[in-house]
Amino acid sequence: MRYSLVVHLCGVLVRLFGAMFFVPAAVAVGYGEFHDALGFVLAAVVTLALGHLMRRAGGTSAEEAVERIRRVEGLAVVSASWLLIAHLAAIPYAWAGVGLIDALFESMSGLTTTGATVFRDFSQFGRGIFFWRSMTQWLGGMGVIALFVAVLPRLAIGGRELFFAEAPGPSEDKVSPQIRRTASLLWRLYAGLTVLQVLALSMAGLSLYDAVCHAMTTLAAGGFSPHPLSVGGYQNAAAEWIIIVFMFIAGANFALQYRALARRDFRVLAADDELRAYAAVVAVATLLLVLALGVSGGVVPTVRTALFQVLSILTTTGYASVDFQLWSEQAKMVLLVLMFIGGCAGSASGGPKVVRHIVLARYTLQSLRRTLHPRAVLPVKLGGRVVPESILQNVVVFFLFYLLVFSICTGIVVALGADIVTGLTATIACLGNIGPGFNQVGPMAHFGDLHPISRVTLTLAMWIGRLEVLTVLVVLRPEVWRAGQWSAEVRSTPRAGEAP
Amino acid sequence: MRIVIAGGGQVGSSLARALAASHEVFVIDHDPDVADVFQSMDVEFLAGSGTSEEVLTRAGIDRADFFVAATGLDEVNIVACALANRLGHPQTICLVSRAEFLGTSEHGGGLGAFGINRVVWPEAQLAADIERIVTVPGAIDAEVFAGGIVRLLEYRLDEHSPLTATALGGLHLPRGSLIVAVKRGGRIFVPRGTTRLEAGDKVVVMGTPDAMHAVETLVHPGRGGGHLHVTIIGGGDVGLQLAQRLEHVPSVNLRILERDADRGALLAASLTRTLVLNGDGTDLEFLESENVGRSDVLVSVIDNDERNLLASLLGRQLGVPKVITRVGRPANLRLFERVGIDVAISARGAAVASILHQITGGASSLLAVVEHGEARVFELTVSPTFVARPLKDVGTAEDAIVAAILRGDRAIVPRGDDVVRAADRILIFSTQAAADRVRQFFTSESA
Repeated sequence: MRYSLVVHLCGVLVRLFGAMFFVPAAVAVGYGEFHDALGFVLAAVVTLALGHLMRRAGGTSAEEAVERIRRVEGLAVVSASWLLIAHLAAIPYAWAGVGLIDALFESMSGLTTTGATVFRDFSQFGRGIFFWRSMTQWLGGMGVIALFVAVLPRLAIGGRELFFAEAPGPSEDKVSPQIRRTASLLWRLYAGLTVLQVLALSMAGLSLYDAVCHAMTTLAAGGFSPHPLSVGGYQNAAAEWIIIVFMFIAGANFALQYRALARRDFRVLAADDELRAYAAVVAVATLLLVLALGVSGGVVPTVRTALFQVLSILTTTGYASVDFQLWSEQAKMVLLVLMFIGGCAGSASGGPKVVRHIVLARYTLQSLRRTLHPRAVLPVKLGGRVVPESILQNVVVFFLFYLLVFSICTGIVVALGADIVTGLTATIACLGNIGPGFNQVGPMAHFGDLHPISRVTLTLAMWIGRLEVLTVLVVLRPEVWRAGQWSAEVRSTPRAGEAP
Repeated sequence: MRIVIAGGGQVGSSLARALAASHEVFVIDHDPDVADVFQSMDVEFLAGSGTSEEVLTRAGIDRADFFVAATGLDEVNIVACALANRLGHPQTICLVSRAEFLGTSEHGGGLGAFGINRVVWPEAQLAADIERIVTVPGAIDAEVFAGGIVRLLEYRLDEHSPLTATALGGLHLPRGSLIVAVKRGGRIFVPRGTTRLEAGDKVVVMGTPDAMHAVETLVHPGRGGGHLHVTIIGGGDVGLQLAQRLEHVPSVNLRILERDADRGALLAASLTRTLVLNGDGTDLEFLESENVGRSDVLVSVIDNDERNLLASLLGRQLGVPKVITRVGRPANLRLFERVGIDVAISARGAAVASILHQITGGASSLLAVVEHGEARVFELTVSPTFVARPLKDVGTAEDAIVAAILRGDRAIVPRGDDVVRAADRILIFSTQAAADRVRQFFTSESA
């Protein structure tokens, strides 16, 4: 690994991120919140300066090496820049008076589209801050790196490694042979859908500010709401139905949706194994939830509530239209299972993803069949195509590490004083980028009362979960660092023992 | 007629042998070893390539009526046909071995643009034939005609068969069905009312689908409903084709044995609900461990006669009630059936018969070849000058029988008092020797 290249690329990304702060700054100025606006400007200055310095630090050799970036360097750049950007995005919160650990938690929760909050009292923050919260989710939903790959011509070639390190589904899903165009088309689709939802929510009676904030956090499968009672606070059935539709869209594969739209052929949607399984999970879970809740409050409102909550948890959005902490244990069990599923690969959602569950289930079934027919050739198939052995292993390893990270984090959170249900659900809510859990971290509660070390642990869990575990864990391998060097210059004969 | 054949392999030589007596046949092949085969035949052999303009010109392609491209390479066949079409105006027939050349439409399809009149794909033909036989319990041959309104089934009778009870005249076969042929002791003949069937006879029955259902339950009682367990040995072109076809039949439970691991992976990738087993179909232990003896049908389609025969006999030994085996060398067909294989079937045999019929059959169209070419079913349109009269007064040739009259979209399986009219389409079953006479009779009579 060539550190100068990693630093240089992180600098490029960080500097571009600096420009983002001017949007919430303008919003804050618009609402007359000048103190907050100053915080955004300060964050912009710090970020731009840091980005510029890092960019220069790599030297010209690093600049030239961008097109020949290696896989492990791509993983390092993505992991490091996500961590760095989360810190920088926390500056406005810290400026507004939030503690450092909480500011970082809130910022990471936003960028990773988790939606877990440590804000105790919503009235103490201005509209600019809430806008920034929603905007970080919107940026993180389709992927900050994907956006930058789309925008920066310099990443036309090297961007490939970055793009797939940020969205590491089990298979590479592109809508154009060029990665830059893929990123650009997907972002345009994403932005277009957001505009559509803003219009729909406005027509349903939400103010423009609320409509924009919710549209940004719905399509990102994020879940931040400027309202302390989440979506439930608006008591607006039409808005809930609109959000239900867009949550479903946010949890489905965007590349697939793009192909269907571009070809005007919606049969590709019906033919997709993952989307069908996803829809089936939604249907079955909603039915179970309706049964668990009972229809005493009327059939349509109950179905709406059940569907809303199922999609909110399954797509890892994390909105609440009611306080499901008050539900029966049976109803909560349905939601708990959904937390471990997640949306489709290539969507804005987090979690292990439906497609990995499909692959794992089929792999297990084939293994069972193999005991009956030891000589049988039993490939695992997805959409009629054979899933290569390397991807199968990758999926199995993913689940193992996912469970490992889940157990360690839960252990830490419980050891530091939380009850087991809180510990389990807080961890899966953060690792799966969902948001709310049960008990102490329920939908109307917050994470602020957890032990500070638990909050730091959960912040890291969000980061690891967003980058789908392996991206981060590969970079943490010591051999990656031992084989590292500072210089990115091309040498004909590598010299041993060169100091960075 | 002048006929040019490119490729002197099994198809080419069989065609040449059959056509040499009454036609001018040119065979083109670049392999000097092949030339020896044609030394003894009354044909002109040209050494060279079918894709060479010079060689084709020497074969007099500009005056040829038919051009058959039967080399082992699909691309060569296509180019040769295209070239032949440019140099002259023959009817071109092209043999292929892969699906992509078939196009989407039924006749010629995607290759029409190359000036190819007919594409023949022997392996697919074979797979289709086997599929029909597999799905009818007890039958050793099965065909459908006229878009499904007439069916043909062939059975081998055992001593318990109800059909051996009395002479044919006294058997009450379901209305709409007809026993068109009996094969006994190597001789095939059209039975009369006085014929009495015996155990060991093979009988060919034709009729409407409803009637044939009744025949099926009469001849092969028991086994109705439930899954049909089929084991295919050999996952080559034919095995894959057959498996893909059988996957569309919901009641079939399918598995395929393939020796080569890579080929097995490819099979598993292209098949959805077939169990692909990696192992040697001639390995008795393997067959036993996979319970192959419990299958209802065993189809052995390895590309090697010796191994096919061994696999089939092992299957028979394990107790499979119906064994279907592919035979590469047509000369082996009868031998295979004599040693206990229920159905021995050859890809090239069917292809050769169908090409021969196209060249010599004129206006009638060949629908099926039965009993390794000893008999055939063809369709023809009755001459407009034919005087309508009941079938019993027509007095057709011996060893031929009118199996069905197609009028409108209806099929009549005739009895003696049914009337044949001018311009009817009729399905005729005849032995090979009688075919020409029957055709003459119905198409040229002026009363």
